Amino acid sequence: MPARHAMSTAADAGHRIVPHTADLRLEAWGPTRERCAAEAVRALVGSFADLEAAQPVGTRERAVVATSDSDLLVAVLDEIIYHLDTARELPSRAEVTATPEGARLRFEAVDIAGAVLIGPVPKAVSLHELRFEPTLDGWCCSVTVDV
Amino acid sequence: MKIVAESPYRFRIEPFGTMRVPGVVFASRALLPDPDHDKSLEQVIHVAALPGIVRASYAMPDVHWGYGFPIGGVAATDIDADGVISPGGVGFDISCGVRLLAAGLDRAELVPHLDGLMDALDRTIPRGMHGGGVWHVSGHRELEHVLRAGARYAVEVGHGVARDLERCEDGGAIAGADPDRVSARAVERGLGQVGSLGSGNHFLEVQVVAEIYDEAAARAFGLHPDQVCVMIHCGSRGLGHQVCSDHVRTMEAAMSRYGITVPDRQLACAPANSPEGRAYLGAMAAATNYARANRQLLTEATRHAFARHTTAELDLVYDISHNVAAIETHEVDGKRRRLCVHRKGATRALPPGDPELPPDLAPVGQPVLIPGTMGTASFVLAGVAGGGAFHSTCHGAGRVRSRHQALRSVSGRRLRDELEARGIAVRGTSWRGLAEEAPSAYKDVDAVVDTAEGAGLCRKVARLVPIGVVKG
Repeated sequence: MPARHAMSTAADAGHRIVPHTADLRLEAWGPTRERCAAEAVRALVGSFADLEAAQPVGTRERAVVATSDSDLLVAVLDEIIYHLDTARELPSRAEVTATPEGARLRFEAVDIAGAVLIGPVPKAVSLHELRFEPTLDGWCCSVTVDV
Repeated sequence: MKIVAESPYRFRIEPFGTMRVPGVVFASRALLPDPDHDKSLEQVIHVAALPGIVRASYAMPDVHWGYGFPIGGVAATDIDADGVISPGGVGFDISCGVRLLAAGLDRAELVPHLDGLMDALDRTIPRGMHGGGVWHVSGHRELEHVLRAGARYAVEVGHGVARDLERCEDGGAIAGADPDRVSARAVERGLGQVGSLGSGNHFLEVQVVAEIYDEAAARAFGLHPDQVCVMIHCGSRGLGHQVCSDHVRTMEAAMSRYGITVPDRQLACAPANSPEGRAYLGAMAAATNYARANRQLLTEATRHAFARHTTAELDLVYDISHNVAAIETHEVDGKRRRLCVHRKGATRALPPGDPELPPDLAPVGQPVLIPGTMGTASFVLAGVAGGGAFHSTCHGAGRVRSRHQALRSVSGRRLRDELEARGIAVRGTSWRGLAEEAPSAYKDVDAVVDTAEGAGLCRKVARLVPIGVVKG
């Protein structure tokens, strides 16, 4: 398991799951705010679905409105959960780009019919002890997800 | 933080800092949360600072670390004195709850058919991420009926029998539902999920009555030794979660106008009588009705599976919500007051004689359904006169280890093999999901229930053990 200091020194992106009795707590890090948010998407999806056998169905783009960094992170993750429930698709790869209103979320979608469930399905993003902040050489976030 | 033992089952945290009322923890010394690993007592203190809170910020014996509110927390605010409502005090899974069905057959009669029944339930109970729902709601208009009238609407259109509604809290539909306060995103998420379990700690179990503690109450509830039962634990699915997310954001933006600050963003709140408070109450009631319809449709699917493999009828014992806020009248400091009672991972437990109970249950009190951990035991309890915490009690075993820690200690495959070796048929969705719900990740449900009874919150009626688990 990566030590916590890796989050503030490693320039590359990564994520891990940390203990919390209320469902799922994710930490992610990356060289930029947007890469970090995209890594949080990877962490979220990787916590419950194996997409190796899932069929690609196209590229999706969503505009996300947010007035703060932490709200941007929540909005991006909320969008993935909403898309899963309503379109039955998950991102195999996600990219986050800053916009004046917040961010643009672009992802390669796969059909969940071919995905293998490996953990409880996320239902909401909590604001409890939510952190999304710059480090010495990048960004890191910590978020609790209700499953 | 100074915790004082008031009795073997009651601890008190004296008010300090911003606390408006004391914290009261109903627990044995062994069940008290360890502050090094579980921040729930800190959360009890945070809740004690909410505007308008009366009497105490309560924790049930199964309390554990949640977000904002502790899971296993009860807090009542005086709505005529600017008392607040907090969506976090209800939880994401609005009206997550439990219903118990009693079958007209005993264990020995079911055992030869158990595998076939479990396979039928495995096929027909939607869960995990692929499931959809057993009810194909025709569109927005029909969903609006579900949101307004819950299980009552489901029964009206043929998904149950009239008696089911007599055994649901509020006759199957809570008043005050306002579908206009449910966002389009919540509706979209809810359209395809009516009649589905979800995942995480949700389950459907085929159980057997292992022990009766109170014969009169068990008789009134329709339970006898060795009888087969079905317990269903689930909630309001994506719709309820979206309602919570939406209204937390709205209230967070409005709090400064009401001069409210909170130590945790998930505690965002607004006066219950404010436009934001009323909007949430209307949306919460709609999501509660959705959850009750959801459990009603799963009941129908279960009845169909039983009908294919047995001749037994399934009668509803009761349906309870353990994530909800209700407007109730209670006496506080000698005055009758209208309170907004938040029960986050806690169950209402009405005492004998309460006017809200149906006539056949009034002499014995409200049935309270406590789902245990997978493969251990579940309980049927009853409300008692003088019950504390505004007539509330525990809601389950209560987590002590995170999902992450549970995964590191047991494999799903091994757990399934152990359960099967004990005669418990398991139908899961993922090995990991199974491992995360290992009994070792939870408090001992027998100890939790004994403590709740010892604390005067409820009394034991029956103990149920599983013979088949359909894991969400």
